Amino acid sequence: MSLSAKLGYVFIAPALVLVAVFFLTPVLLTGIFSFTNMSTATGITGGAYQITPSLLRDLSDQGFEKATLDSIGSESYQIAKATLQIAREAGSEPSLLAELEEEHLGQNFTSRREFERFLKKLQNRPRSTRELKSTSPHFRKSLINERFETEKDLKAALTELQTKLTPDQINKLSQAAYTGWVWTTDNFYKMTILPETKQILFNTIIYVTFTLLLFNVGFALFLAIATFYLPKGQAGIFRALWLLPRISPSVLYVVLWKWLTWDTGFLNAILNPLGVAQRNWMLDTTLNAWVFVVLINGFIGASMGMILFSSAITAIPKPLLYASEVDGANRWQQIRFIILPQLKWPILFVTVYQCLSLLTSFEQILLSTDGGPGSTTEVWALAAYHNALDNYWGNLQYGYGAALALVLVVIGVIMSFIFLRFFRFQELVRQPRIEQ
Amino acid sequence: MSQNFKNWPILTALVLATVPIVLMYSYLVLDTITNTEPGGILPSSFTLEHWRFLYEDIEGKANIWQVTLNTLVFASSVMLLVLSVSSTAGYALSRLNIPFRREFLAGVLILHAFPSITLIIAIFLILQLIGLYNTLIGVIIVMTSLQLPLGIWIMKGFYDSVPWEIEMAGLQDGASRFTVWYRLVLPQVRPGIIALGVFSFLSGWGEYILPTVLAPANNVQVLSGYLASLIADDRNFEFNLFKSVGLFYATPVVIMYLFFQDKLMNIYGGGTKG
Amino acid sequence: MEIILEDFTKRFGDVTVIEKMNLKIREGEMLALLGPSGCGKSTTLFTICGIHRVDGGRVLFGDRDVSRVPAQQRNVGVVFQSYALYPHMSVFENIAFPLTVRKEHKNTIREKVAEIAELVHIGELLERRPEQLSGGQQQRVALARALVRKPSILLLDEPLANLDAKLRLEMRSEIRRIQLETGISAVLVTHDQVEAMSMSDRIAIMKEGEILQVASPTEMYQQPINDFVAGFLGNPPIAFLDAHVQDGSIHLLDGKIQFDFPGSSTPTNDTKIRLGIRPEHYQPNNPIQIPGTISFVETQGRENLYDVMLDDGSILRSIQSSANASIEKNTKVNWGIHPEKLLIFNQAGLRF
Repeated sequence: MSLSAKLGYVFIAPALVLVAVFFLTPVLLTGIFSFTNMSTATGITGGAYQITPSLLRDLSDQGFEKATLDSIGSESYQIAKATLQIAREAGSEPSLLAELEEEHLGQNFTSRREFERFLKKLQNRPRSTRELKSTSPHFRKSLINERFETEKDLKAALTELQTKLTPDQINKLSQAAYTGWVWTTDNFYKMTILPETKQILFNTIIYVTFTLLLFNVGFALFLAIATFYLPKGQAGIFRALWLLPRISPSVLYVVLWKWLTWDTGFLNAILNPLGVAQRNWMLDTTLNAWVFVVLINGFIGASMGMILFSSAITAIPKPLLYASEVDGANRWQQIRFIILPQLKWPILFVTVYQCLSLLTSFEQILLSTDGGPGSTTEVWALAAYHNALDNYWGNLQYGYGAALALVLVVIGVIMSFIFLRFFRFQELVRQPRIEQ
Repeated sequence: MSQNFKNWPILTALVLATVPIVLMYSYLVLDTITNTEPGGILPSSFTLEHWRFLYEDIEGKANIWQVTLNTLVFASSVMLLVLSVSSTAGYALSRLNIPFRREFLAGVLILHAFPSITLIIAIFLILQLIGLYNTLIGVIIVMTSLQLPLGIWIMKGFYDSVPWEIEMAGLQDGASRFTVWYRLVLPQVRPGIIALGVFSFLSGWGEYILPTVLAPANNVQVLSGYLASLIADDRNFEFNLFKSVGLFYATPVVIMYLFFQDKLMNIYGGGTKG
Repeated sequence: MEIILEDFTKRFGDVTVIEKMNLKIREGEMLALLGPSGCGKSTTLFTICGIHRVDGGRVLFGDRDVSRVPAQQRNVGVVFQSYALYPHMSVFENIAFPLTVRKEHKNTIREKVAEIAELVHIGELLERRPEQLSGGQQQRVALARALVRKPSILLLDEPLANLDAKLRLEMRSEIRRIQLETGISAVLVTHDQVEAMSMSDRIAIMKEGEILQVASPTEMYQQPINDFVAGFLGNPPIAFLDAHVQDGSIHLLDGKIQFDFPGSSTPTNDTKIRLGIRPEHYQPNNPIQIPGTISFVETQGRENLYDVMLDDGSILRSIQSSANASIEKNTKVNWGIHPEKLLIFNQAGLRF
């Protein structure tokens, strides 16, 4: 290996590791998780087998015999090597345990009361009710809520109970008893049938289209062209002001908008004396919510286009502009025939780039309307976030959220590849001139 | 530029469009030191009470200085990590003969446009698995990784513009590739390092979602989360307090912005060029 | 030190730019690598200093095979066309850099830098930054930096290309002086024949990755191996006339002019040849007269240059002292050539 390759590996290794673990792996995992039912309930590391009362209820709905289920759900008290061991470890009276082991090994009791009555008659019987109550639970045997690490353990336990379950039923039961996550395509099925999907898709299209056309491209063009015609000092002030929303921390930026629109906010302070009823301008109607969602995001988004378009306009040869003025073009004609044609590529670039970032951004909406009122401003990316990381019910739907995110990831991958076309890639990978 | 056209129509339109920004930001400053009657537009009295959060903890909230320290640690670690990793990787991609250089570059180019925020669910689960959930280190590493493609891309652009002859001369003078990079090339890309450093510091300082999702605990809270939780808390709903915290939060940003405005313009212009 | 390229081959990807080149740079000489751009002269230079890898053959520094030795360990001093001074360092730090990376003692460094600065006449500039220097001064600093560690060989890549005309003359003699004073072997890469002829002991002329001829400037001028070399050297350039051989004599202009083939090995009948005639050899009073009409006059001050169109449309050039009265355009002249001064080439361009 050449000297420079060795140094190259050392130089690039940290970046490779970080990008691989926190960028490429997440892309992959988003794909994997979206085919699972992972949630807070299932955990993420895999699970165990557990029969819960609610599971039994479900099974009885599915046509399992009531008697069989009762026998699974019943508890018994056994004097066996295993239960004795548990009691010993828990520190129960050794003399009592010794007596149980020598004389009563193998006896079964069907209820706690019966078992405790039996215990009280023994020679080494517990001396207090408290001791009795603390000793008896160690001998309890029940499948309910017991964790089995493997399916085999569960089946063995079921067989031991000598229920009338058929092998088929046992399989069904153990599958239902699994508490961890399982592979499934339900997320995508759910996505296609839920009415919410249509709503958030519609919302996303509205959000991206309006913000992109009105602000990220439209208003950005206006800013770039307008500041171009102003004296340098004034132009600088306006550009600096319009960069403010972009550099301000987003939480603070949204607070300012909330202050503007709140029930007792600035807008009301101005409009109230004019006879307009006091209201929360941001959330009182769907239309208003959308206006502010677009404004809040648009004010941030306009700056990128402004900067790119401005530098493209400055790159237009000055004589071209002077010539058009000499030829008698008015300002509109100058913009239309000289400036705009020069901006074709920057406009296309900004459109594609910002379309992608709007599609996947949700921070400002989360902080301002949080998808409200109702879920009228809930966009796709926000829905993914809400489902997986922040929902009202507390049971976070990682799997479903990942499936929603996967849609965006796929779009992101496709559009990122489109970007390769924007760069003259061959030029960027010219061979290094030092051949060491 | 041209004097052949009148400026005032443009100026008027611009001023009107900019009114909301000017309003919001001037009241941001004004409201932190004044009180306004309910329903009033102009402040009625001067006060410093909105700044009390600096010396007394707000009920149920973490200590502001602890939170500020966390934010500082978070933002500067992200900055240092992004800088050191991007400046080495960018150099390797720009100048060194490594196998698969082409593929690496294409990868960086694709990722730099990739919407990383869509990955947050998977990242959240990864941090849980490797035990870095609810730690500052975890968020720092994640934030750094997500910034890397852009950082590497920017640094590569800057390295590309350093003349090859400088490096060749360095080799002839007997310096190793490492020495050449460290002592001859790195000083040439100082503007890039400053720009990227400021950019990644500000990104870290302003980031809200990553710390909120990946490290929600009180003891690792950063200013964005602090301010957001303050607003979400119904017990003390007071815009002047939010603004004071917000101004306190934004001051370093504004100062850096004033100093490095030109350099930042380049990066906020999409990071497509150095 | 003597430098030898032995069967040196260089490829870029699938393209072979230099194949089996052999070249020897003698101890203490200045050798010019001369050729048009793209002929492989810079590639050769970069291979000697170790920036390019050798794809075949060997590079020898004295007895030492350095083909696989990295640039840092070859101890070669290079002056780049752009000078490649380190912009963030002072002149002193620039010159001291090779010594600093060798971890030499501070006092030694100071002495050596002072000594070399004295040699290249920049003693008073040591505290300045490169951007505060003129082109010529930057050139001197680059020379000093290349020489300060006493390299085995000094390589100069188009050292005068970035200078204006006046400075170019000055630095031409300065570089030569410094090279002679230090007695170091040097390679000068240039596309300018005047530079090559005025500065070097020998010239290696290159075309399309091949060395055509290695000789002293005078020898190469007078005895070029082929028409390319003859055409590349000399300003104003040599003129060529088509001719053929008949019965031991040369026939020009459809046989209107005939004279004996100079030299012993006369080619066979009907051999097509080309005559190379330098402007200083087409003069009034020369024995073989070739009449024509003056088609162009260029006054160069000390001399006048005339283009003379012959009957068949081909052009001869003549350079004459401007002490003689200048001759008008369209004047018919009857100037002549001297057979002994002719350069005669065959159809393939090689000289008889």
